[in-house]
Amino acid sequence: MNRKVSRNQFKTRWLPILLFVGPVMLYYIGFMIYPFLATFYYSFNTIAPIKGELTVTFVGLKNYIDLLGDPIFIQSVKNTLIWSIVGPVMEILTALTLAFLIYFKVPLHRFYRTAWFTPLLVSGVIVGLVFRWIFNYEWGLLNVSLRAVGLDDWALNWLGRRDTPLMVVIFVHYWATFGYSMVLLLAGLSAVPEELLDAARVDGANRFQVILKIMIPILWPTMITVLVLSFIGKMRAFHIVWALTGGGPLHFTETVATYVQKRAFGWNTLDLGYPSAMSVLWFGVVMIGVGLINRWLKRQVEY
Amino acid sequence: MIKKMYSLFAVMLVIAVILSACGTPATPETVIQTVEVEVPVEVTAAPEQPQAQDGKELIVWWSHWANEPAKKAMVEKVVADYEAEHPNVDIVLTWWDKNPLKDAIRSTMTAGGEGAPDLVYFENEVEWVEAGWMVDLADALPWENFDPMAKLDGTYPDQGFPGNYKFNISKVTNMLFYNKDIFAELGIEVPANDQFTQSEFLDVVQTCSDAGYAGVADAIGNRPYPGVWPVQYALFSLVGPQEFNLFNSGKKAWDTPEAKAALEYSVSLRDAGLWPASFSTMTIDEFHVYFHTQRKACMFYIPTWYTGRGFKAEKDGGQDPNWQFGMLRYPAMDNGVANNMLWAGTESGFGILSTSKHVETSQDILAYLAQPKYGALWTAVTNSPSMIKYDASKDWPDNDTLTALNITPGQWDWYWNEYDRVYGGMELGIAPTARCGDFDAAVVSALNEGLPQGLVTVDEAVAMLDAALCK
Repeated sequence: MNRKVSRNQFKTRWLPILLFVGPVMLYYIGFMIYPFLATFYYSFNTIAPIKGELTVTFVGLKNYIDLLGDPIFIQSVKNTLIWSIVGPVMEILTALTLAFLIYFKVPLHRFYRTAWFTPLLVSGVIVGLVFRWIFNYEWGLLNVSLRAVGLDDWALNWLGRRDTPLMVVIFVHYWATFGYSMVLLLAGLSAVPEELLDAARVDGANRFQVILKIMIPILWPTMITVLVLSFIGKMRAFHIVWALTGGGPLHFTETVATYVQKRAFGWNTLDLGYPSAMSVLWFGVVMIGVGLINRWLKRQVEY
Repeated sequence: MIKKMYSLFAVMLVIAVILSACGTPATPETVIQTVEVEVPVEVTAAPEQPQAQDGKELIVWWSHWANEPAKKAMVEKVVADYEAEHPNVDIVLTWWDKNPLKDAIRSTMTAGGEGAPDLVYFENEVEWVEAGWMVDLADALPWENFDPMAKLDGTYPDQGFPGNYKFNISKVTNMLFYNKDIFAELGIEVPANDQFTQSEFLDVVQTCSDAGYAGVADAIGNRPYPGVWPVQYALFSLVGPQEFNLFNSGKKAWDTPEAKAALEYSVSLRDAGLWPASFSTMTIDEFHVYFHTQRKACMFYIPTWYTGRGFKAEKDGGQDPNWQFGMLRYPAMDNGVANNMLWAGTESGFGILSTSKHVETSQDILAYLAQPKYGALWTAVTNSPSMIKYDASKDWPDNDTLTALNITPGQWDWYWNEYDRVYGGMELGIAPTARCGDFDAAVVSALNEGLPQGLVTVDEAVAMLDAALCK
């Protein structure tokens, strides 16, 4: 079946190939490759409107050097990295547990599948606003509930402290997105051959042994995908943070994505070069992170 | 095989053409909105650019105040009047909330100005002037029609821009309200001169807090400045308007005894229970309601633009017109040099973007708006002082005009009577709010978020501010 396309065959087919692939390639080049290259180029320049003209001034590595001394950038990197480590782990553990519950058809499993997936259908901005109300110190659902059961001391100003806002943001994003991971893992579980499970059971394996020794190893590639997607999602998290805290208070929930937006369009700094440098640097960090996760986890898959 | 592929491509092409034909045309041919295009609050995408029609000159105007019906009504009235007198001009007004509007202007202008409006909201962003985005209005407006304060704002001689870039329609004074019912309930007596001393004011806040009320209703959910007010009010009274302007605009280091005294006083107020529990999340609309309807705070730091939200219809979040609050002078600071002065400034105004192809007409519209009758109309409709001078006996709008704009004449007379009684005889200290971007960000972090929430100390706040002083 592995048929090679000869040079002649390719020549005769180049036009249809071009017709089908061309538009997509044009789109990809125009909206992916070009913006990336432009951002890379901008990152070595100051791009600011001066006296009505958008002026590009080459500054070499200055933007990158400045980034290393920018306390807000460092804070945002710290926040994003914490999130990118904690978030995917929380997400995959929950998603895996729930996927197994649904796979093994616990009572009301159809309802759970819908209920757990539903948050994903809600706009991130709406999620942010709703949780902003839920975490309101005075009349938010959480604190009202805590006070109602006598836990007044636990009712905190969740979004206005030094220690809790980042946890709140991580939790809200987790709540909004774990359904996606769950569905992917559920699809992976559905692909586990039934014969294999039957054979294990015949050999005397109990349910936990089946899960640990058969299902999870088979599911491992899907888990890697879920983990990588979750990691990437956290590294570029924006909309929920924006709606929930706007990066505050005092940048305690600032992510790299929100800081890029602020520096590019939110503040009156009006220089697109500096946020471009942030984007390029962060793109590199994400690529390295994804590479490391893949490399490490793929080693585990060699069973 | 090749034939099949070509056929498939042809079929896809036909389907694409049919689907395109069924879609909405990209540019509507007939619909032109002449007065109002309302954009939901917190939407950042720029609206589709309207098209000129019938050879008319089209002026696009983006304005703040989406949530303030009286201001909208007033500006729309001016637009309607102008269009009636200039039938060759169509003005399309789009109403925004401030934050998304500023984002949209920055986005469109940094991208070269495609889709940018002609007339635009302008607050006091010196960077916009440095960027060459704003047209100099120095020779375009009848400045003699304005209060002299108007020309002090929207000009940046220190940065090399001595022109005038902002049309100031509103004159703002910063006030301090109190809830008479709560004061009576708690036995708090207002001094005869309506001014507590620094320590008395602290006691008032403590008394309110002990009784379960917030000292003031202000919060920072969607604004970068209410948390700064206690510091600003105290510093203004301590050092007077000229020194205050230097501190406030990032031209003077904060590591001074006066600035630290103001910061430390704000900390003592905070610790006494100045802020509402929902300080970090309550939005500007919500904290108005918190004061006038929920009545959970004793006092309220607020400029004269309170009326834009407070005097809306009750169903829209405004206050009960019969509920009358009181006004106070700022607390008299120990050794304060301006305890008898009132901090005055401006609010959002208008400017013309340099990318406009209709600069002359846009200037003409602003000059038209600068007529004394519109100064009077602004005050009568918005209950906010106007920067445009007028003779009330001659220029004040008649009741029919006000009624047509949904204004009930005389409804808020008690407010003005109280205003005149408390602030009427005070000298104004003028303080424009222009700041460079870095210092502005530091003020937001240190004074709006950090200090009021106990996230930074006074020394840390000072260090943050001084590290970002404007050059």
